Amino acid sequence: MITKLENARIYDPTNKINGKIKDLFIKNGTIIDKPKRNEKISKIINLKNKIIMSGGIDIHSHIAGGKVNLARLLLPEEHRKYLYSSSNKLRSGSGLGTCSSFHIGYKYAKLGYTTVFEPATLPSNARSAIIEMNDIPLIDKGTYTVLSNDDFLLKLIQKKTDQKKINDYVAWIIQSTKSLGIKIVNPGGINAFKFNQRELDLDEKNKKYGITPRSILKVLTKSLIDLKAPHPIHVHGCNLGVPGNIKTTVKQINAVEGKPMHLTHIQYHSYNNEGDRKFSSGASILAEEINKNKNITCDVGQIMFAQTVTASADTMSQYRNHHFAHPKKWICVDIECEAGCGIVPFKYQDKNFVHSLQWAIGLELFLLIKDPWRIYLTTDHPNGAAFTAYPKLIKLLMDRSFRNDEFSKINKYAQKNSILSSLKREYSLYDIAVMTRAGPAKVLGLKNTGHLGIGAKANITVYSEMDDKEKMFENPYMVIKDGEIVVKNGKIKKVFNGKFYIAQTDYDRNIEKEISSYFEKYIGRKMQNFKIQNQELWDHGIEIENILCDRNDY
Amino acid sequence: MKNINFTCPFCSLLCDDIQLETKNNNLKPLNTSCPLLLSSLKREIKEQFPRINGQKTNISQAIENLSILIKKSKSTLFAGMGTDIKGTKATLEIADIYKCIVDHFSGDSYVKNIKSVQELGGFFLTLSELKNRSDTIIIIQSSYDTAPRLFEKYIFPKDTINNLKKRKVVFVGSKVPQFLYKNIKKISFEHIKLDSVNLLNFLSRIRNSINSEVLEIKDRRLLNFLKLLKQTNYGSILWSVSELDNNINDLIVTEITLLIQELNKFTRFSGLSLSGSDHILTVNEVMLWQTGFPIRTSFQNGFPVHDVNLFSTKRLIDNKEIDLVIWINSFNEKKIIINKKIKTVLIGIPTHPQKKNVDVFIPVGTPGLDYNSHLIRLDKVVTAPLKKVRNISLPSVDQVLNKVKERQFQ
Repeated sequence: MITKLENARIYDPTNKINGKIKDLFIKNGTIIDKPKRNEKISKIINLKNKIIMSGGIDIHSHIAGGKVNLARLLLPEEHRKYLYSSSNKLRSGSGLGTCSSFHIGYKYAKLGYTTVFEPATLPSNARSAIIEMNDIPLIDKGTYTVLSNDDFLLKLIQKKTDQKKINDYVAWIIQSTKSLGIKIVNPGGINAFKFNQRELDLDEKNKKYGITPRSILKVLTKSLIDLKAPHPIHVHGCNLGVPGNIKTTVKQINAVEGKPMHLTHIQYHSYNNEGDRKFSSGASILAEEINKNKNITCDVGQIMFAQTVTASADTMSQYRNHHFAHPKKWICVDIECEAGCGIVPFKYQDKNFVHSLQWAIGLELFLLIKDPWRIYLTTDHPNGAAFTAYPKLIKLLMDRSFRNDEFSKINKYAQKNSILSSLKREYSLYDIAVMTRAGPAKVLGLKNTGHLGIGAKANITVYSEMDDKEKMFENPYMVIKDGEIVVKNGKIKKVFNGKFYIAQTDYDRNIEKEISSYFEKYIGRKMQNFKIQNQELWDHGIEIENILCDRNDY
Repeated sequence: MKNINFTCPFCSLLCDDIQLETKNNNLKPLNTSCPLLLSSLKREIKEQFPRINGQKTNISQAIENLSILIKKSKSTLFAGMGTDIKGTKATLEIADIYKCIVDHFSGDSYVKNIKSVQELGGFFLTLSELKNRSDTIIIIQSSYDTAPRLFEKYIFPKDTINNLKKRKVVFVGSKVPQFLYKNIKKISFEHIKLDSVNLLNFLSRIRNSINSEVLEIKDRRLLNFLKLLKQTNYGSILWSVSELDNNINDLIVTEITLLIQELNKFTRFSGLSLSGSDHILTVNEVMLWQTGFPIRTSFQNGFPVHDVNLFSTKRLIDNKEIDLVIWINSFNEKKIIINKKIKTVLIGIPTHPQKKNVDVFIPVGTPGLDYNSHLIRLDKVVTAPLKKVRNISLPSVDQVLNKVKERQFQ
């Protein structure tokens, strides 16, 4: 069956289409070339005055895993505020920042997003996280496995093990935990915190292993390049949230010496320590570095003013920030000689100096980093805000007068300390399509999504054009997933599961002897049971989409 | 006859180092004397008929009856909930459709942990951190009954990443921890004998004395304990709510949480709750991700409503606030409450002694014995894969409930 979408204005940056009126054809869930004369078009959808982009891709959103469930447990009051009834098609649920699984899928679909990555899956928690993610319908999903604090890897680096063997270990982790890539979180710092070190800068040594975050960063960055992994190293750096951390962030960029690296939630890593209150914006310094270093991609982790909850594997930073918990309760966990997690609820308030400046810093970064192909729209859901805030964030980027009105409402001292109101840039629809679709797909190595070319998945979002961009983006006219209309006029029309992305890599089987003995001796589990088998995923009805490690542009 | 690697489903340690000899569906562990595993495998399945009012029937008739009962019911409770991830998911789907309530066997004690986390949060650790990191382990009035191999696997072994020498293990409470006395050579052991009220006072005094000058403290026992805490590099505190005095167990858990928070101001400490019998952790985790709330959640309004007191199994049955209770237990023969004025269904193992006393009995297999399964470990982080090891034709909980779901529109 062939469906034709006609008369819509198309924004498809991958194929360099900028607002051209063009017909699209869908067959078996895929976008096809114009059918031949003898092929029957079964359905024509007239989309006059509508705008089409491919389905949105969220590169960094905490949607599943132990930390999200702990946050749900910690905050019943938040869940009681947002309750969702069941219906014929939809399950019941609750919550916003740590929304229950089914409703994460419904909400993303209603926003026109069709692909989302959970960015911090601990190896030991990967099986649970993937089974949980199978209850998030309507979107394609994947994970990045957290390395950089596990005792096995740190020991390899301490012993100056050759890169080839470390690559085998990294590939083994990706295969065993069924992820798309590797995330660094506060390299060596989470481990150091277990030995009561309270901070660890890029060139400070971890007490136990005597190695620095810099050495971990360099080794893992190289691993992913050597493995030709679909996504380069995904980095949550040292000193998250610490005033003055901009210096560390810049040093981190220099540390990888021109190699590809994705810096995540850079808003939290762009703080200077100037001024009376020793807290100021480092956005222009970081933007200049990123503009200069074409090897760097980033996402922002914008904060928005509301109650939310921060959830991170960075126990060291989360413990440091627990004093700011609102409400006054928090959780930390030391986990399986791998890493940890910390849950700290936060209420970002526009009258608070620090929160206001954080908000402005995020926007400054969006506007000062010139190339939208290298900066992606995130709120580090739910850390900066729930992903449901994206439409308002898009309006802040596209509409300068709205932005300046909002700026005038924040803490006055923060206003004095931000250049935001002087920044004239307004994002275009094409730019938005780059930073929410084409850009993330490119950096994730996903070839069949994020665009509308022939062979792409028919993941399509249709918007009604409106002046108010928040309204336009919060309520797409139609969302198509794998060729099926799943949302129309804000209503879910059909519910099914998306696919699960896994990078296909290989490793020298000899590494397993050492890992197996480490598991038996120290971890108290069998390595064989740590490794997730495809059959287990199939038993849960999970459909796997393999992505080859064949990147040749590193 | 063959020997196979086996992951044990009978407690939430989910030990996967067991060698099992299998012969005609008889299973014999070769390398462990875990009492829970041995007693669980001893059950001899002589017959496996479903029953309606105690009378033998076939499976489709029993499921038909269960479906009719659920459709007719104005208020249904899923109790016990001894099941795995898939079983919990199937239950929640039915609960959503028919607006039921969900609780668990261990609800009464486990809600004390839940409440403490909801009010204060906490600092926790997982089993391999306990094994490799903890130089001091404080056990609050906890025997090893619910997780028999915990100490053997995670506390007594010598091989640790941190090269820990003899660990310091302190048992605080009124019980006599024979399991520790027996292994006294492996650890540096101390026993602080206290009844439950004094236990609470002791913990509270410790917390309040942490910042005092040592000279100000006269109680020798307190002083020594404080010294130990201050010398510790990485300590852990273990407790089991079900073994604490029911009247003050919530206060004790709160005190432990606050003490750990205080200790982390200068050294590293974290806690581990040992409550996890009948896989409440598995059920709780699935409930949290699918609904946003833990056990004791009702779907009667069409959306989830969570209340740790209101939705207690005992209270709902005693007050007859429900007209149908569906007990699920695929692991053991734990006694269920039967109230003749409330329709009672048991989805349980075929040897359950109360199978003839309920309105409908549907026999099911055990996860990891009769079908592949996933269960969540004591520390909530690790999910273990379990594989079928015997060939008895018994359905799983999710298969039974999915059949009920299929009859929704019939």
